[in-house]
Amino acid sequence: MTAAETATGKGWGAAPSATWAVTGLALRQTSRGAVVVIALTALMSAVTVGAYRGAVASPSDAAALAALAENPAIRTLFGEPVALHDAGGFAVWRTGTVLSVLLAVWGLLAATRITRGEEDAGRWDVLLAGRVPVRSVVAHHLATLVAWALLAGVAAFTGLFAAGATAGGATAHATGLALCGVFFVALGTLTSQVFAERSSASGAAVAVLGVGMLLKMVGDGIAGLEWLRWLSPFGMAALARPYDGDHMGPLAVLGAVCTLLAVAAIAAAGRRDVRGGHLPSSSGRAPRRVLLGSPQAFAVRRLLRPLAAWSAGIGVYYLLIGVLAVSMTAFLAANPRFAELAAQAGFGGLVTVEGYVATLFALLAVPVGAFAAVRLAGLAQEETSRRLTLLLAQPVTRVRVLAAEVAAAVGGAFVLTTVAGLATWAGARTVGAGLGLLAALSGAWNVLPVVFLCLGIGALALAWVPRAVAFAGCVPAAGGFLLKVFADTWGWPTWIGQVSPFTHLTALPDVPVGRDAAMVMTTIGVLAVVVGAAGYRRRDLRV
Amino acid sequence: MVSSAFHTESLTKRYGRMTALDRLDLSVPPGEVFGFLGPNGAGKSTTIRLLLGLARPTAGRAWVFGADAADVAVTHRRLAYVPADVALWPRLTGAETLELLARTGPGTDLAYRAELVERFGLDPSKPGRTYSTGNRQKVALIAAFATRAPLLVLDEPSSGLDPLVEREFRRAVGEARDNGQTVFLSSHQLSEVEAVCDKVAILRAGRLVDVATVRELRRLHRTEVTAAFATAPPDLTRVPGVEEVETTGATTVRFALTGPPGPALRALADADVLNLAVREPSLEEIFLGYYGGRER
Ligand SMILES: Nc1ncnc2c1ncn2[C@@H]1O[C@H](COP(=O)(O)OP(=O)(O)OP(=O)(O)O)[C@@H](O)[C@H]1O
Ligand SMILES: [Mg+2]
Repeated sequence: MTAAETATGKGWGAAPSATWAVTGLALRQTSRGAVVVIALTALMSAVTVGAYRGAVASPSDAAALAALAENPAIRTLFGEPVALHDAGGFAVWRTGTVLSVLLAVWGLLAATRITRGEEDAGRWDVLLAGRVPVRSVVAHHLATLVAWALLAGVAAFTGLFAAGATAGGATAHATGLALCGVFFVALGTLTSQVFAERSSASGAAVAVLGVGMLLKMVGDGIAGLEWLRWLSPFGMAALARPYDGDHMGPLAVLGAVCTLLAVAAIAAAGRRDVRGGHLPSSSGRAPRRVLLGSPQAFAVRRLLRPLAAWSAGIGVYYLLIGVLAVSMTAFLAANPRFAELAAQAGFGGLVTVEGYVATLFALLAVPVGAFAAVRLAGLAQEETSRRLTLLLAQPVTRVRVLAAEVAAAVGGAFVLTTVAGLATWAGARTVGAGLGLLAALSGAWNVLPVVFLCLGIGALALAWVPRAVAFAGCVPAAGGFLLKVFADTWGWPTWIGQVSPFTHLTALPDVPVGRDAAMVMTTIGVLAVVVGAAGYRRRDLRV
Repeated sequence: MVSSAFHTESLTKRYGRMTALDRLDLSVPPGEVFGFLGPNGAGKSTTIRLLLGLARPTAGRAWVFGADAADVAVTHRRLAYVPADVALWPRLTGAETLELLARTGPGTDLAYRAELVERFGLDPSKPGRTYSTGNRQKVALIAAFATRAPLLVLDEPSSGLDPLVEREFRRAVGEARDNGQTVFLSSHQLSEVEAVCDKVAILRAGRLVDVATVRELRRLHRTEVTAAFATAPPDLTRVPGVEEVETTGATTVRFALTGPPGPALRALADADVLNLAVREPSLEEIFLGYYGGRER
């Protein structure tokens, strides 16, 4: 942390130390997320190479896998399988899309957060009143993020290479991944200069991500439209064909595009006002008076936008899960080794449509739990940003405000799980998988008790460690999920696995409802919310 | 009928080892415009936050119209609050924010609100994030005055307002007083408090130093004048309102001026003044002058 020390220690005296201080600031704001992303990149790459060795032992296994990979839905989801005969190529196919989207999302969110977000919150006013010009501040933040993205590339290479994949393909893949990260880091920085509002800047960058992914998917899935991939950063990374030629041409083009974007972002930064963008933010509009009548209504109003975005994401994912139901289960039934591997990691019963759907519904607890945790973290954020002060100066108790937020989050979680159930059912219907609507819905709703746990822990955090609401709220779902996977994979003692809520989720719609576990989890969640509310009522407001 | 709009009994707030507010006993009678004066960090906002139940006292208690300050569902039905640093929801327009505050608040006089929007010159169609500091403050002030609540608690209400809006603000305070409402406003500007308040409490380093009427306070209000003359300076010591005359050079004099400046100006006009500098001392300087340099 030498850079951070410079920031606080030496201060703003000389120009070089001032720019170092800016870099230190950027490092401090990004390091935690970046380290997680980099570690995941290395780990997933290495583990997948290892998994290939275990799963594809014979030529017939490889042939079955190749047939599965040619399924149009799978192709759309994972991309064109170019080198499934190679452990490295398999890892690229299996993890490439996930990792590049992970890097892209992290990159664009981090970029808009530490540039537009900080500026918008007024924290740059002091910084920019100093001797460092806007352009230089933006450039240093961008450079820090680019360095993180490149490190993620190094991590991917190291993961693949250390697990025994060959270096050439690993280089092509890692370069493509890193450049996808750089592309979205630069894009996020650019949209942060264009838009005066963080949410608009992130939204615009996410829209580009969506279009880019769509172009690649269409290019991958439909013969004759392969050229579309040249229009997408993900597509260009795929065109490098790691482990199947390792073409550097598309990567060079992508690198040039990234450079252009970065230059444009820095140039745009120099030509605007502090706290302003190139596009004027929305000027006046007529008032929309709905959902302003009570704290409850207002919580719903603030929920609607994010809920729409989460619903769209979860809906699309579970639609694909539904579409894949038949081909995945058929593949797993025909290739017991893959099914065994999944069962070892705690995912049994994958060979029937119901079992497969149930397993993937259990996963739903992770995003929906995160959604609930983020809602409560939003309340903590309202408090620190002092907006809540105005509401709490009304004849409205804190308990009522918290109850409103929790109720809105529960409603949101219900909507999200319903969307997932409906989407899966609709997807399964298109392939004639024979999944009943009620079975799909109840399978999705089955994760709600875990979400209640998330809300409970989140409420406790709001009362005693308000900084950590999002993290704490994610622990029951995301943490519990990881715990179960690790415990099952590495054969940890049973009681450890028992701690995870996932162990207690019945595999609906395969198995009838497990009322007891659901009741226990719900009760714990409700109690935790009550205790959290009591603590929240008692403490000082943080402003 | 309660005898005070609010009162506190050895109200104390400590943050770690630091005592932000030290055994405050204060009673504000209903129907008065009550100033709360103190330099930066004196504990004014802390007092207000304790009064609003936004923070919990370390010791002591506060009552608003006879109800415990912690019972916000009751006390907030009879008060309206404007924080020192107003933050609005970025996506809500001014009109929507006013709507939210009116519908969750203790009741709002909509006609008066519309009039205040006009008088304060607020464009309510803008989203919150585009408002300047002063405009955010206007939104909160309009919402508070429009409630016509029996107690208005205003934390440095005019710090971000331009002179025209500040005039409107003072008018609104006057209207509230005429209406029988109590106004409690904190400030670190002596002139502001003098202009609108009936009575003033002075806080310094967390301790209540004095509670005085504004007339008594005027003795605090003095102007520091430095004058340079072409020739030897005249004798000013006998001029009414002039105090602490100090000869700072062969032809320069510094003195403190209290009360009406007429006699002093006449005395100066008779002399050959080359240069005149008039300075309002800061509150801290005044306090040091009158209450001594007691430290935290
Ligand atoms: N949450 C907190 N944690 C620690 N110290 C605090 C906290 N809030 C206030 N203080 C300290 O308490 C003291 C009083 O602060 P307060 O905000 O009440 O002052 P003030 O009179 O309103 O000053 P100003 O005129 O600058 O607004 C200050 O020294 C401040 O640093
Ligand atoms: Mg204050």
